[in-house]
Amino acid sequence: MTELVTTVASLDQADQLLAAGADRLYLGEDYFGLRLPHSFERAELTQVVELAHQHGKKVTVAVNAIFHSDRIKKVAEYLRFLESINVDEISIGDPGAIYLLTKEQINLPYIYDASDLVTSSRQINFWAKHQASAAVLAREVPYEEMVPLAKVITIPVEVLVYGATVIHQSGRPLVTNYSNFVQEHLDQADRQRGLFISAPHHPETHYSIYEDINGTHIFANNDVDLMSVLPKLSELKLNRWKLDGLYADETKFVEIVKAFAKARDLMAQQALDDQQLAKLDEIVHDNQAPERGLDRGFFDIDPNEVK
Amino acid sequence: MQAIKVKHPEVLAPAGTPEKLRIAIDYGADAVYIGGDAYGLRSRAGNFSFDEMKEGAEYAHQHNAKVYVAANIVAHEQNLAGAGEFYRQVRDAGIDAVIVSDPSLIETAITEAPGLKVHLSTQASATNYETLNFWQNEGLERVVLAREVGIDEIKEIRQHTDVQIEAFVHGAMCIGYSGRCVLSNHLSLRDANRGGCAQNCRWKYDLFDIPDNGQKRELLGHGPDGKLEEFSMSAVDMSMIEHIPDLVEAGVDSLKIEGRMKTVHYVSTVANVYSKAVRSYCEDPENYQLDPAWVDELWKVAQRELSTGFYYGTPDENFQLFGKRRRMPRYAFVGEVLAYDEVTKQVTVQQRNNFGVGDTIEFYGPNFAHHTQKVTDLFDDKDQAIERAPHAMQIVHFTCDAPVKPGDFVRANEEK
Repeated sequence: MTELVTTVASLDQADQLLAAGADRLYLGEDYFGLRLPHSFERAELTQVVELAHQHGKKVTVAVNAIFHSDRIKKVAEYLRFLESINVDEISIGDPGAIYLLTKEQINLPYIYDASDLVTSSRQINFWAKHQASAAVLAREVPYEEMVPLAKVITIPVEVLVYGATVIHQSGRPLVTNYSNFVQEHLDQADRQRGLFISAPHHPETHYSIYEDINGTHIFANNDVDLMSVLPKLSELKLNRWKLDGLYADETKFVEIVKAFAKARDLMAQQALDDQQLAKLDEIVHDNQAPERGLDRGFFDIDPNEVK
Repeated sequence: MQAIKVKHPEVLAPAGTPEKLRIAIDYGADAVYIGGDAYGLRSRAGNFSFDEMKEGAEYAHQHNAKVYVAANIVAHEQNLAGAGEFYRQVRDAGIDAVIVSDPSLIETAITEAPGLKVHLSTQASATNYETLNFWQNEGLERVVLAREVGIDEIKEIRQHTDVQIEAFVHGAMCIGYSGRCVLSNHLSLRDANRGGCAQNCRWKYDLFDIPDNGQKRELLGHGPDGKLEEFSMSAVDMSMIEHIPDLVEAGVDSLKIEGRMKTVHYVSTVANVYSKAVRSYCEDPENYQLDPAWVDELWKVAQRELSTGFYYGTPDENFQLFGKRRRMPRYAFVGEVLAYDEVTKQVTVQQRNNFGVGDTIEFYGPNFAHHTQKVTDLFDDKDQAIERAPHAMQIVHFTCDAPVKPGDFVRANEEK
């Protein structure tokens, strides 16, 4: 029942992820999709799709960028390509791409993913009426809001159970602009450069920041880890779990996926107890990059605390 | 020879209060946007009750202007109840359109308040024509473009859709794609998409990496003045006053001014300048010239440096607030004209800020009327000579050499 969706950083890793228990691989190229561990060209992408299908597993391709006029023109052709290689689903965050699916009569299911913007059941059901197969729930929706929401949604929602949470996307090159102003020039501002910012008076904080062709992206202080509350998600039948390895080591990410797959399998056998859950969470922590923290994000926040 | 006229786009001004609504319209705005008690992003702006909306709409319609209500939050589960009733009341108050970004609220407005026109808020970050087509298909009358869209992109969008296009031309900017920023949620537990934005982008941050030894390594640099410069994401404000022809020719239907939280002084000044410039251009495009006085006027109410945002390319470091700030002209709003006597040349003014004999003050009114006057005498409401008018709302009169009109405003340069 529960579906594990994981990002992919390479064809090799795709193989390992499928063996580790991933049900659906999530990948794409930077020109059309946002914040991906690797930008897959078409030949590589096709290989991953074939591999996943050989294993009886599915592939979702990221088409969730905010498109300007130059790029929206190229979306229809890309969608037709994805249809031709039998991609199972795409993600969309710009309604213009949904409009194109209909206009061009392209037969591809889509999951609506607008990072922080999907926050209510009514909105999820709105996208359902527009043929969405699923929607990505904003990370700013606490558990207490998930409870009433889960009862009335008409399509599955995807919940981030592990990984980095984007909290800002700018169309400006924010690091480059800063770097151009100061005398000490930074030669790199991409994800591999590993830059962080910390909030005033909170030197212990570390928000990841990087630039790519989609602008500047900033991430939450800690990565999300919902291992300890998976039974609560399951109770609400929120059974599409996303693991995002954007900032994870390729090999360690596979270990993290294994831990979540194990939790899923034990839960299916009704054999998951607190002790096992704690052990599996330990695996997640052991494989987490040392400079990055883990927490449950907005999960435990009282909705009334948010102003 | 008759000048060739072009289609006159709407100048859309912010109105935080019923008073500002009337002033914006008096000062030339073709439309204003306001907030209701719920569903708006400016929870701290003076918001309108339904009765105030009705009065505002009546005033606007008498003056051939329109009123829109911004209801552009991104709703969570607990915000959904009552939305339909809210939109019905807005519609029944005679409001011309609601500005919405959350698809669930758009659907609610359309299905539960039939007849109410809906505009897509800039918070939805619409950046291409297929997105505009999507929303037109849903029944929307207008789309407010993302602030990231350039002039050439607008021209292209215009060719591929006939939904109305609204674009920001003046005021403060988000540094990120509007709606795609939850810095405030994560850093201040205040929801940026529900009116709580704490403007965390304008904070000063540390910038660093963590090399293999696990220790933080500072990467902050020094500005041209040699001082340590902290990392920031603070955008300068926008002003497109020097590019009105480009906006009109690109096919923008509504030129939007930011600032529902701003003062009467700001609203009257900015509405006055843009309506004057747009009218001048549309009446005679061939002979149009930018009046430097319009630019000067906007600087009098500027809070930050001004830029053209994304209209002519991706903003570089000069479009962000780094280093030493430019010195802003400081003007105080000192009063409102209540009456003028042509025979005695006495103007009666209701005071809003301290002024007095010896000060040079500036009268301004609708249609860009201006008069600079040195105050040589001053009398209170009992005709007693006084030196200063120190009390708020105090009624005074003094000699003014040129005729001014009731409703004109008075400002003074505080640096003199």
